[in-house]
Amino acid sequence: MHLDWGPEVESFRVELIAFLDEYAPPQTRPRRDFAMSVHDAEIIPQWARDWQATLFDHGWMIPGYPPELGGRNASPVQTMVYLEEMSARGIPRALHFPGYAIVAPSLLDFGTEEQKALVPAAIRGDAIWCIGMSEPNAGSDLAGLQTRAVLDGDRFIVNGQKVWTSYATVAEKCCLYVRTDPTAPKHKGISMLIVDMDTPGIDIRPLTHINGNADFAEVFFTDVEVPAANLVGALNDGWRITQGSLAHERAGLWVEGVARLEQTITGLVDLAHRRGVANDPIVRRRIAEGYQRAASLRALGYKGFTSFAQGSSAPEHSYMKLASSEQGKALYELGMEIQGAYGPVVDEERGEEAGRWALSFFVSFANTIAGGTSEIQRNIIAQRVLGLPRSG
Amino acid sequence: MNFSFSDDQLLVRDTARQLLADQCPPSLLRAHTDDITAARPLWEHLSDFVPLGIGPLVDLCVFMEELGRVAAPVPFFATACLYAPVLEAVGEHDLDAVLDGHASGTVALAGADGVWHPNAETRKTFVPDAASVDLVAAIAADGAVTLLASPPAQRIETIDTTRCLYDVETAVPGTSAGTISRAALDAVLARATVALAAEMVGTARRLLDMTIAYAKDRIQFDVPIGSFQAVQHKLADMSLDVERAWSAVYYAAMAIDAEDDDRDRAVHVAKAAAGEAAKRAAKDGIQIHGGVGFTMEHDLHLFLRRAFGAEALLGTTGWHHDRLADLLI
Ligand SMILES: Cc1cc2nc3c(=O)[nH]c(=O)nc-3n(C[C@H](O)[C@H](O)[C@H](O)COP(=O)(O)OP(=O)(O)OC[C@H]3O[C@@H](n4cnc5c(N)ncnc54)[C@H](O)[C@@H]3O)c2cc1C
Repeated sequence: MHLDWGPEVESFRVELIAFLDEYAPPQTRPRRDFAMSVHDAEIIPQWARDWQATLFDHGWMIPGYPPELGGRNASPVQTMVYLEEMSARGIPRALHFPGYAIVAPSLLDFGTEEQKALVPAAIRGDAIWCIGMSEPNAGSDLAGLQTRAVLDGDRFIVNGQKVWTSYATVAEKCCLYVRTDPTAPKHKGISMLIVDMDTPGIDIRPLTHINGNADFAEVFFTDVEVPAANLVGALNDGWRITQGSLAHERAGLWVEGVARLEQTITGLVDLAHRRGVANDPIVRRRIAEGYQRAASLRALGYKGFTSFAQGSSAPEHSYMKLASSEQGKALYELGMEIQGAYGPVVDEERGEEAGRWALSFFVSFANTIAGGTSEIQRNIIAQRVLGLPRSG
Repeated sequence: MNFSFSDDQLLVRDTARQLLADQCPPSLLRAHTDDITAARPLWEHLSDFVPLGIGPLVDLCVFMEELGRVAAPVPFFATACLYAPVLEAVGEHDLDAVLDGHASGTVALAGADGVWHPNAETRKTFVPDAASVDLVAAIAADGAVTLLASPPAQRIETIDTTRCLYDVETAVPGTSAGTISRAALDAVLARATVALAAEMVGTARRLLDMTIAYAKDRIQFDVPIGSFQAVQHKLADMSLDVERAWSAVYYAAMAIDAEDDDRDRAVHVAKAAAGEAAKRAAKDGIQIHGGVGFTMEHDLHLFLRRAFGAEALLGTTGWHHDRLADLLI
């Protein structure tokens, strides 16, 4: 047991900081804890696209990958240092994560050579991807998805509907989960297809988030033709990929989640001073409780990382996802409460930090729902970590 | 950052676990409730480990966690986590006898308010194990340390029958052992606080493990109660709290061992996280056991007692959050 990361990381850290100082654009500098601000008209603004490409070209997009995939063959410990330094500065890698965090590892694990050739553009952000998993009748119960794909010669014909598809309005490609064997048990009849979003028969209808952004959409598929070569992995073996991609989604995100909690606590301290309640014993205790939970969670993340770096898969992801998303919600709510009557005010003039607290509170609901709800995380902990019997 | 135990630490853990499984069953806790001398043979075995008290804090925490798991009713915390480091800080030669396992001791510091800070009161409170150790080190307002043999001590009845606390009259003749500086005293208390938090995590994990086992075993409505989601989610939240508290404790121990700048905050985080974990594990543990958990006959209450006793010692969860607030705001 020791605190330091060892000598191998110091030159790495110095190099990273020098790169950030030189290249990080001004838009990445202010603290942006509401991931997409209402002030950005575009879902993925040009500066964010440029920044992601710059990271890739300098080997700083996914440091653990080789240079041709936007990395520098960094060790797990170096990758952890990278995530810490980026998140401590509040610098995002990209404003859309499906391509680099879910699609890239899935294609590298399961794709054909042609499919793997799509990976660099997915990581660099040249091609924006969306993930078509959820449907009106298949949310937490993802394996209940019904969008049908029928193999017809050298193509699939796809019919059905996806929902809550983030970035669908701007995406070039979709990682689409479809039912290819309706007679098999529900986990065994699912396949994954790569679908070009401009294929005829795809109808995208934007849906607006509760904070006012149109960041996700309903996507309808009517007789959409998809080349058979776009099947990823084996036919009817798509469930295995979903398990992998959800794990990828959770893997490194905890560092950013915990850093966001810590930055929010710093913001709460400043807010309490500005609002004249920094000596209120209840406010003080609640801020300290938030700090304690973020700090103990960071320690738990490091513990999980220790097992991960030693090659064993750690169950900590569900704990981290559950606790950081729930804690985030509580902290933004506290930020509103501290402002009393002004808590819900979002106008630029009179609202604290242009309504940061109320808007972030709204956005924080996404985190306890998307990527597996808090209830689903508790089910996973109970059944897979603690070994309790499945219900019903 | 590395959270894996070294081979030596694993050896400490496994040796302690084995020994305690044999020598410290719940029946001993019950015997000790009636007669505190019942735990003497156990203490004979455990006094060999006292040198951990002045070594790396991570190693001490490994051992304390095991003691917490069995709620060991021995003056190890008093001797190794309080007394020995105070003697070490003042350069007292009696330390050798303590490290050899020949002498035991405790520290008397808190006054009537129960808070462990220097004060001018001579009647000290919440002194752990004062009646079962050889010497009590009384610490005066200016840090003067006096060693007292069998000073007048009166047991404070608490819900925790596994660790005995006493009021001690310190205005009695004793041997002067020098003066401990404020910084040295704070360092001793910081280490003791993290060690106690480690003990609490051990107790919390015991409560969690007992409850998981029960939830898999107990059948109602023809199925194990552990298949009910209301029960599963309680257990998931309990285990989350235990996991994060464990991590916070070892982070704090590493921070102290490395003299890291984050150590003052980390100490409060560790004790508060351990408090949240232990209290939740105790309360929800009883709830999930149903009626049998409310009986004296079942062992669960022994650990509930230990958990809430430790929660109140060296600062409650709320107290540590308030000290943390003082560092943050
Ligand atoms: C901002 C945002 C972005 C998203 N982006 C995408 C995307 O890009 N692609 C995509 O495919 N999906 C996306 N989703 C969808 C997301 O994955 C689903 O919303 C999520 O899986 C929950 O499904 P649901 O909304 O149908 O809720 P439901 O599954 O209907 O759940 C409703 C409630 O019931 C509870 N519940 C359900 N099952 C259980 C159970 N077994 N035990 C206990 N409680 C249960 C849930 O916890 C929840 O509280 C996004 C969602 C959000 C909010």
